[in-house]
Amino acid sequence: MIAANSIQLTVVTPETTLLDEQAAVLQFPLEDGQIGILPGHAPMVGRLGIGELTVTTSKGTTRLFVDGGFVQVKGQSVTLLTNQAHQLEDFSAAEVEKSFNEAIEREAKTPFEQSTKQHDIDRNRKLLSLLNKS
Amino acid sequence: MANARVIIKRLKAVKNIRKITRTMELIATARFKKAMDRASEAKAYTQKIAEIVGDLSAADLSFSHPLLQKRDNEERVLVLVLTSNRGLCGGYNSGVLRQAANCLRRLEKSRKNLVLEVSGKRGISFFKFDGKATDKQYTHFEEKPSFEEVDELATRFIDLYTSGAVDRIEVAYTEFHSVARQSAKLETLLPIQDLSTDDNQDQEQAHAVDYEFLPDAEAILKEIVPAAFKAKLFKCFLDAAVSEQVARMIAMKGATENADEMIGDLSTKYNRARQSQITSELSEIIGGALALE
Repeated sequence: MIAANSIQLTVVTPETTLLDEQAAVLQFPLEDGQIGILPGHAPMVGRLGIGELTVTTSKGTTRLFVDGGFVQVKGQSVTLLTNQAHQLEDFSAAEVEKSFNEAIEREAKTPFEQSTKQHDIDRNRKLLSLLNKS
Repeated sequence: MANARVIIKRLKAVKNIRKITRTMELIATARFKKAMDRASEAKAYTQKIAEIVGDLSAADLSFSHPLLQKRDNEERVLVLVLTSNRGLCGGYNSGVLRQAANCLRRLEKSRKNLVLEVSGKRGISFFKFDGKATDKQYTHFEEKPSFEEVDELATRFIDLYTSGAVDRIEVAYTEFHSVARQSAKLETLLPIQDLSTDDNQDQEQAHAVDYEFLPDAEAILKEIVPAAFKAKLFKCFLDAAVSEQVARMIAMKGATENADEMIGDLSTKYNRARQSQITSELSEIIGGALALE
């Protein structure tokens, strides 16, 4: 078999198909750590974590922020299913910091509230570190 | 004999109504197109979820998840009714409400505890008139339900179900098949009865691929079941939104056609009335002239 030299990447959210293009390299967070995908990756299904998705195409790199979901690698096509995906430039550091502080101070009594609180804290912390880095 | 002036007044009123219904028809058509686009874009997500579920089932896993387990004694049942905020859309709301009312009657007969949640002003006023207490009301789902809003609702449902506050969740909504066919439907949301959709083809293909699961298949299952549920609920909302616009479009088209017919009728009547008025005036003049001689 001839090795493929590009990946057909699709990023879908419940509302729309965000990206559908040829990519050379992908980097995104899985639940337990960062993963990189090159063409010809073995078939895989994985859980996404919170963090940055970097897509390198022939035209340049695109950076998206993904928040949980799944990834499916099958042959040359890679599909990312995520509840939320936004351009990293869409966030402003001040706003993220505000919601981060709000999440930290929020009262959480039930286990359900605690888990959403933890998720909000994680999400905003990750987002902040990404924004400060760039 | 009908007075010509009275007919003219009525004719003007009908013409005005025709203008309004015609405009509403056009607006509904435009909104329908938008809603339809959203619904078809959302399809990609549900399809992919179904595909991964298919992959998982091919991996010889025993599917066990709290959201999949059917409970033996269903004590409390939650019913969610999706109606529109606005009227003038034909039988759209009454269809859904009929389904919902039937379901409520059945539940009352079997003496189940009931939690009733209604979305849309039409449904809320219906249950108010019916004297049934609604536990939660939503009016913010318009023709463009966003996933974020539905996600919030879905997370609460999952929490209610897993904590044992409710034992079954039903939804009454209008399913969209095609522009010509929509049907009001009552569906069980939780426990999830069937994760995989009827796309057997996808599953066949999945069997051929040997997947690596990260971190492992169990963990993915744990996450994908709620995701599938959310996607399903979101689809209900999208379907309801599309069906509402279609129903309004058809209702307004009918109204415009009826107005056209009425305008035709009234103009004939007016012309006849006018003519007979002229005839009688003429004969009066002739009669007067004859009397003078």
